[in-house]
Amino acid sequence: MRILVAEDDAISRTLLERTLQRAGYSVISVENGAQAIAELVKQDSPRLALLDWIMPEMDGVEVCREIRRRTEQAYTYLILLSSRESKEDIVAGLESGADDYLTKPFDVDELKARLRTGHRILELEDHLVEARESMRFQATHDLLTSLWNRGVIVELMTHEIMRSRRERSCTAVMMCDIDHFKSVNDQYGHAVGDEVLREVARRLHNSVRSYDMVGRYGGEEFLVALNKCNPESAVSRAENLREKIAGRPIQTANKPVSVTISVGLALSTEFTECTVEEIMHHADMALYAAKAAGRNCVRVARPSGIGKPSDDQLKETQVLMP
Amino acid sequence: MSEQEKPTAAEQPRQVEWDLNELLGRLDGDGEFLRDLLVMFHKDARQNLEKSRQAMAERDFVLLARAAHTLKGMLRNLSMGAAAETAAALEAASRENRMDHSAALLEKLEKELEEILPEVEAQLAEVRP
Repeated sequence: MRILVAEDDAISRTLLERTLQRAGYSVISVENGAQAIAELVKQDSPRLALLDWIMPEMDGVEVCREIRRRTEQAYTYLILLSSRESKEDIVAGLESGADDYLTKPFDVDELKARLRTGHRILELEDHLVEARESMRFQATHDLLTSLWNRGVIVELMTHEIMRSRRERSCTAVMMCDIDHFKSVNDQYGHAVGDEVLREVARRLHNSVRSYDMVGRYGGEEFLVALNKCNPESAVSRAENLREKIAGRPIQTANKPVSVTISVGLALSTEFTECTVEEIMHHADMALYAAKAAGRNCVRVARPSGIGKPSDDQLKETQVLMP
Repeated sequence: MSEQEKPTAAEQPRQVEWDLNELLGRLDGDGEFLRDLLVMFHKDARQNLEKSRQAMAERDFVLLARAAHTLKGMLRNLSMGAAAETAAALEAASRENRMDHSAALLEKLEKELEEILPEVEAQLAEVRP
């Protein structure tokens, strides 16, 4: 583990470095408080720091205060080194944000024991952050595919459609459904069915831009929202998604499985008077039309009804497809 | 300042100036490392003593306290107990702006260092590889 030592006296610093290195630490040494701050605010900065109380530029207490003021970083465990033993000093030091203090000249075993306490606190902090992140992820993502879950994808898409209306841009809403998914489960079992869902999710996710959104809407149904989408190229991008699934079989533990998807597309610019729920309903109707047309194809919702992509749009598709 | 307050070497029992065995014990008998520390001490002690004298001449108690603080640290680290306590007393006196007391303590510290430095030099000659 890395540790920062801030100490202006060369002899103390050298003694600390040697003791810490022998205890297995990788030591970064600096000679004053300003240098200590510079090290501690770096990305990937050491999480443990030994700070001399009295230093030029900025003393240890000021370093503690400054580090605690910055809350955006992971927790740093701060130990003040003091050669003074008066009570007010220690109280002032701890109130500045130090976790512990050590009196110089230090006793090696005591130093090691106090650093072990630091490790324990940092481990607790890491577990806490990890648990919080994992809970946040579970609350917003689908466990099987790691895509956004239904609640979140609908919410994100709603925000995006509202924004696109303000900015007069277009959001393309695509309902994608795996064709004959039930027969995959029946034929190969649910474990293979899950592998297929994961791989379809992965391909959809990898086929859109980082600021587009993909979520699992239901069992084998996915919702894709393309932000700031050029309406002219929406069909070709839907075709591209369809092709990414149909283009090559999915390698499962058992054997390769070929699946296709049907896509229902609705553009927010075509339904300016509709609520988000209504736009999704239109995309759903287009998806039914794609299923009815024989599956493995794209259908587009229009205010006048469901349309087959025009020859022009498909021509464009061929030009745009990789 | 009263006579009682003025510290003189004669009043105090002579302490061990330098507990080299204790220091070597803390360094796990590492002679080479001891040498590195002594080289640093030899340079830094003189420097800080000079800083102290200058601060005293200019009656700059902030600088004097700082130099005394540094000296105290290095002396304690090297198990030079008696001189370290003098430096600690000098630091405390200069924080309280006590001129006479500080002057007497600095004088005492200078004498103690004058005794220690030749010992350090001897040690350096001895452990020279």
